[in-house]
Amino acid sequence: MNATEKTWPWVVLLAVILIGVSAATWGAIAKIDYQWRWYRVPQYFFYLAEEAEKTPADGRVTTVVRNGKNSTVTLAAENGEKLQWQVESGSLRVAEGEEMFAGDTIGFTSHWRLGPLMYGLWTTLWLSAVSSFFALILGLITGLARVSKNFTLRGLAAVYVECIRGTPLLVQIFIAYFFLGTVFNLSRNVCGIGALSLFAGAYVAEIVRAGIQSVAKGQSEASRSLGMNVFQTMWDIVLPQAFKRILPPLSGQFISLIKDSSLVSVIAITDLTKAGREIITSTFATFEVWLVVAAMYLLVTSLLSQVVYYMERRFSISD
Amino acid sequence: MIKAVNVTKIFPGRLGPIRAVDKVSTDVARGEVVVVIGPSGSGKSTFLRCINGLETFTDGHIIIDGVDLADRRTNMNNIRAEVGMVFQQFNLFPHKTVLENLTLAQCRVRKRSRKVAEEKAHSLLRKVGIPEKAGEYPSRLSGGQQQRVAIARALAMDPKVMLFDEPTSALDPEMVGEVLDVMKQLAREGMTMVVVTHEMGFAREVADRVIFMDEGRVVEVGTPEHFFTNPTEERAKLFLKQVL
Repeated sequence: MNATEKTWPWVVLLAVILIGVSAATWGAIAKIDYQWRWYRVPQYFFYLAEEAEKTPADGRVTTVVRNGKNSTVTLAAENGEKLQWQVESGSLRVAEGEEMFAGDTIGFTSHWRLGPLMYGLWTTLWLSAVSSFFALILGLITGLARVSKNFTLRGLAAVYVECIRGTPLLVQIFIAYFFLGTVFNLSRNVCGIGALSLFAGAYVAEIVRAGIQSVAKGQSEASRSLGMNVFQTMWDIVLPQAFKRILPPLSGQFISLIKDSSLVSVIAITDLTKAGREIITSTFATFEVWLVVAAMYLLVTSLLSQVVYYMERRFSISD
Repeated sequence: MIKAVNVTKIFPGRLGPIRAVDKVSTDVARGEVVVVIGPSGSGKSTFLRCINGLETFTDGHIIIDGVDLADRRTNMNNIRAEVGMVFQQFNLFPHKTVLENLTLAQCRVRKRSRKVAEEKAHSLLRKVGIPEKAGEYPSRLSGGQQQRVAIARALAMDPKVMLFDEPTSALDPEMVGEVLDVMKQLAREGMTMVVVTHEMGFAREVADRVIFMDEGRVVEVGTPEHFFTNPTEERAKLFLKQVL
């Protein structure tokens, strides 16, 4: 009870600061007289798409049956075939007995469709997932090479890690797309995934190396002393222990990867960020869209953090 | 069983090379218990680690059951499977249960089925007196229990020789006895053992032969009676005066 009595002033202080910052931001926005148009945003998540139903052949409308919202239109084509459509009653363009030509509109149907923000989010997610997968494999191999006894392997790994960590990701993406992509005729998606994987792989390699080196030397000695070979020792003894320790930094790296994937929008991959930019060009709702885009990134990364947190708790059973 | 000839190990030290093990020669017969004692830094642990190839040696030969470790064609994994090792820090695998600690190498190296390996593991846990701990993780065990599991883990491979590297040095005093009891039982059963230890009582009671090392060299070799009652070398006398 003592603890709660002492923490409430700090909770109040936190609330005051947050409200203060919000109010100040609000005040600043009010000064520049920005027109908020939040109502323009939802349609970029989901929208109702209207599709025209057109007859593929000439013919005559035999029946139009209205049953509430939808109507069933039957058409007898010239070749004797019977065609049928379900369209919305309000959008009917035909009446019974009417002669139709191929390509004429019978009526309209509407469906809920995913908007560009959702497609962008999907692109960001699969791009990050595929890149994470390759980064993990690349990082694991490079990390093992970093602690290898072979000089050449160690050297190769070190050169790779240094080159990647010493240059900006944006420049790497440009090199991947405009240089490698042109030379080897690669698609923008391959270039984007390649650049992200190589970039994250170098960081994963350092995490893996640190993890392996953090496992006590006695562990591999005990394993080797039982006759297990280098690979068995790595796989059964060292890596499982290292993995448990590197899970937090590793997940941090993958969360970074999701955020860094926004940079592939510069090579015209329509990820969440590029989708946001495209929406702004047609709505001019700059503030709203960027805030929504940021919130979507935040949502994804916090969900991932929660999953990792859960996994960490599961793995700590043997401690 | 084990034949060491002029085994020499040189570490590149900061102040020039250090001869950690200097021309050590000895024979260990089948069923013999050899205790190696000496002050810290005398090279006894390094010598022991050379026997199962955890350390490479610079010069000399170690021949186990007719196979020379100095020969580059020797498969060290096969040698290590035949030579059990017990460490000062137990080195149990913390992410595996006691049972898994005992079965892993049996399955991977000896290619035993899970069932056979688990039966073997359970009977060894009975032997070291902790059959009820099979499902526990090592962190739940006391130091003495962990070291007994480590002994059982080494025995699960049916080794021809057991090496002990100061097996009781990291234990609380009240747990030393339970580990030494297991080792005494092993010695009575005829296991070939090389033991590096500071437990003089154990050496006196169990050893067939005592090797006293100092500064990487074998200073004195003899039966326990000879060594503890009437050592020849001055260095050995001084050491005994300090520890007894």
